[in-house]
Amino acid sequence: MLEIKDLHASVEGKEILRGINLSVKAGEVHAIMGPNGSGKSTLASVLAGNAKFTVTGGEVLFEGENLLDKPIEERARKGLFLGFQYPVEIPGVTMANFMKVAVNERRKAQGEEPLSAAEFLKLMREKSKIVELDAKLTSRAVNEGFSGGEKKKNEIFQMAMLEPKLAILDETDSGLDIDALRIVATGVTRLHTEQNATVVITHYQRLLDYIVPDYVHVLYHGRIIYSGDKSLALKLEKEGYDWLINDYKE
Amino acid sequence: MCESVRKKFVLSHFFCIFVRLLCRNIAIGYWAQRRVTRFMNNDNQNIIDKLEKSDYKYGFTSDIDTEYIPKGLNEDVIRLISAKKCEPEWLLELRLKAYRHWLKMKHPTWGHLDIPQIDFQDIIYYAAPKRKTLSSMDEVDPELKRTFDKLGIPLEEQMALAGVAVDAVLDSSSVKTTFRETLAEKGIIFCSMSEAVRDYPELVRKYLGSVVPYADNFYAALNTAVFSDGSFCYIPKGVRCPMELSTYFRINASGTGQFERTLIVADEGAYVSYLEGCTAPQRDENQLHAAVVEIVVERDADVKYSTVQNWYPGDKQGKGGIYNFVTKRGLCRENAHLSWTQVETGSAITWKYPSCVLAGDNSVGEFYSVAMTNNFQQADTGTKMIHIGRNTRSRIVSKGISAGQSQNSYRGLVRIAAKADGARNYSQCDSLLIGDKCGAHTFPTIDSHNSSAQLEHEATTSKISEEQLFYCNQRGISTEDAVGIIVGGYAREVLAKLPMEFAVEAQKLLAISLENSVG
Amino acid sequence: MELQQLIAEGTLQPFKGDRIDDAEAVGVPLLVRASGSATIDVATRQRVHLVVLHDTAAASSIELRLGEGCSVDVTDVYTAECYAAMNVVQAEASCYRMVAVLLAGAHADYATQLNGAHAESDMYGVFVAVEREHAMVSVNTRHNVADCRSSSLVKGVAAGRATGEFRGMVYVAQDAQRTDAAQLNRNVELGAAHITSMPQLEIYADDVKCSHGTTVGRLDEEAIYYMQQRGISRREAERLQIEGFVCDVVSRCEVESLGTMLAESLNEKLQKL
Repeated sequence: MLEIKDLHASVEGKEILRGINLSVKAGEVHAIMGPNGSGKSTLASVLAGNAKFTVTGGEVLFEGENLLDKPIEERARKGLFLGFQYPVEIPGVTMANFMKVAVNERRKAQGEEPLSAAEFLKLMREKSKIVELDAKLTSRAVNEGFSGGEKKKNEIFQMAMLEPKLAILDETDSGLDIDALRIVATGVTRLHTEQNATVVITHYQRLLDYIVPDYVHVLYHGRIIYSGDKSLALKLEKEGYDWLINDYKE
Repeated sequence: MCESVRKKFVLSHFFCIFVRLLCRNIAIGYWAQRRVTRFMNNDNQNIIDKLEKSDYKYGFTSDIDTEYIPKGLNEDVIRLISAKKCEPEWLLELRLKAYRHWLKMKHPTWGHLDIPQIDFQDIIYYAAPKRKTLSSMDEVDPELKRTFDKLGIPLEEQMALAGVAVDAVLDSSSVKTTFRETLAEKGIIFCSMSEAVRDYPELVRKYLGSVVPYADNFYAALNTAVFSDGSFCYIPKGVRCPMELSTYFRINASGTGQFERTLIVADEGAYVSYLEGCTAPQRDENQLHAAVVEIVVERDADVKYSTVQNWYPGDKQGKGGIYNFVTKRGLCRENAHLSWTQVETGSAITWKYPSCVLAGDNSVGEFYSVAMTNNFQQADTGTKMIHIGRNTRSRIVSKGISAGQSQNSYRGLVRIAAKADGARNYSQCDSLLIGDKCGAHTFPTIDSHNSSAQLEHEATTSKISEEQLFYCNQRGISTEDAVGIIVGGYAREVLAKLPMEFAVEAQKLLAISLENSVG
Repeated sequence: MELQQLIAEGTLQPFKGDRIDDAEAVGVPLLVRASGSATIDVATRQRVHLVVLHDTAAASSIELRLGEGCSVDVTDVYTAECYAAMNVVQAEASCYRMVAVLLAGAHADYATQLNGAHAESDMYGVFVAVEREHAMVSVNTRHNVADCRSSSLVKGVAAGRATGEFRGMVYVAQDAQRTDAAQLNRNVELGAAHITSMPQLEIYADDVKCSHGTTVGRLDEEAIYYMQQRGISRREAERLQIEGFVCDVVSRCEVESLGTMLAESLNEKLQKL
């Protein structure tokens, strides 16, 4: 589904990604871990197409097609979803209106008819249950006045609405209390099928108790320096990164 | 108040300023300690004392033999001024061009000001102390030296001790400029405008009028035609001026208009902090002051220009006082930074808008202002930030304080030109009203021609808080004192931008200017 | 704007008189088509909703006199490029509330005189100027007596080569103590548009709480990125954001069917961006 080959990217002339190689297949869950500033969020942003970052080398194939030459919205319509670490507030734009446009754009791209208002509302109600999102929040402006937990739930709610092929969840667990973490993580697990794939970016092992990864990668200094199975996350939790990164320190 | 007591008070006051200047520059630590002590022990008492004394504190006249040109203005007077100053032909031509243009101009009426008819033929356009070209201190007129002593600028001691070079402008002609040698070592030129015209004609010719052209406005044209003297400052490429440069302006001769011309050039990567402070003798007839300050801030250069203006504001009935019509503007090249800070407490009428033309990409302009008016004073002051280069930024903080029957206006313009991508401005303009006979007005204009610009302007008007006054009273602080404290706090953000010794002075000035304003 | 439909439905009733002293008998908002000069007196303690429509290029001037204790809602709609003045004179304890929607490059001049204690004025306005339009809203609020409150919020969008202009004035007379006045202007500038904003305060009384603010901003790039990531095109993301920016003014219109109609017309116009 996703092939990343020797991906290099920089921000304001400073190289952050220094040759990432990663392959994600349908049905898989990958976890990307690593210390602060190693480039985890940059990787997510570059895949989504954030203009702040400049790709300086390498290629990315998504479903066999070049991802990097496509605008942000086209990547999204092809089924790439980014769960933001800090979801932005959009004053005046209601969740319902926002989601309706997004869902119908996706449907249009897939050659489907737009949903009627009734169908759409039904879909909203259904999907909001997955993350126990308060129905009142959908009539409010996007993320405006949402608590930290509500914002993260809202990200997973949108993921449920858009049914992406590949979901990249950037620190979706940060700032969540244990209950919210459980709800968010259970939601992600419920949305996981053999046809889609999930990449979770996280600092902590605790999220991986709920979302069990097939692979765990350690990102350090813009490269994946080590990959393993779910036991790697436990080892990192216990022993930290030092044993891995000593060889890579500049 | 008895004359001798007043003089004594003035003397001691200036001595205080001088001591602070000295202390700061001899040893910061010692100064700071002294300042703290002064604050703890004396400051409140001082303010109370001053609040009780109702006359203008800085009014005294020195009897110096002054050389005049007769009243009135025509081309011959301009030629005479130019000739007395042995000016080159191009400067005379500039003056005449400006004068001819001025004749066609009308007195500006857009200010929120009530300006009495000014008879421009009833003004003496040139007065200078007779004895000039002195080779040593001994040649300085003893009376003049005494005036300097009163001002707290004893030249000989300054030369020995102080780190602040002071170009004292008495009336129109610079008499003595100090510390030139120290500055000269770094290639810094700091001298009177007349000397600059004589010694560095190419520099003056290159920059004079390049920021404020003579046709800019009525008073800029008048100033260009008749400017008597002023200061010139040039900081060469990459040089950080090691001391704060300051000029004490002082209007002295009766009925003499003061037309100062200041030109500051900070060449690429240079830095200078320039202080301008003013006090003026008490007079009954109005005096016109129309200065022009031009600042050229070349690429990567940084200029900080601070003013404490405390000219005679007129008496409690609104009689007398200085008319202060000033044009101040700086031109910023790439990455340049210009910061204007002003504390305006004096003058009967203030008409003044220190501005920044942000021509270079990434240049930054700042304007910090406290304007206080009391009795019948009128102030219409503010700034213009003209964003031309990309990613230019500006910040405006204006604090107006109106008391008595005064009128105090903020007037500002923020313009974003079509090519100024990513320009940003933030403006905060607050007004404080003390008493129900005064006025506080805010007239900003925002004009954006670039859709990537971000501008924000906020203004509030309120009166001094009853709760705060009550709280202070309950702690045993008199109402008048409390007002001083509260106003000081209100103006703090701006005062903090001043060099330290000025900040202390300015805070006192605010308290003094507010006397008798609380019922 | 097919207001005829609202008239046919009985939601609005045309009004051509110069005095309103039994609004309750009518029961529905009154529609006034602005043209030439008109004076409308609203009698003491009347509650009335006026819909003013500017649909021709003619200049117009309406003087609205609010009697003691009356409460007047105005929805002022511009569908044609025109010049219009609305002068409101308020007596004691009167209450004025206005929503202005400029769907065309009109020049709307509002002047309000608060002449009686405890009078209140709340004004909301929105303009969307596209192509080469020039939209101008002027709000001049004069507190002539003590103990009055006023607020205004004008939101502007200028795109293309359009000009959006706001002129504001809050004037507080010397005896107008305990005035509470706030004025806010917020603008979004797109393309090669031009925004001018001149909010002014002229205050001669000291026991007052007065403020004004103005902003000129661009669209939030971060929000656009977020929406694009959800598959929404940039154009659509921009439109959604502008819609979000202007909708709160329109939503204050209390005649629901008219509010919906205004929102739709605004959205139609936003499609032109």
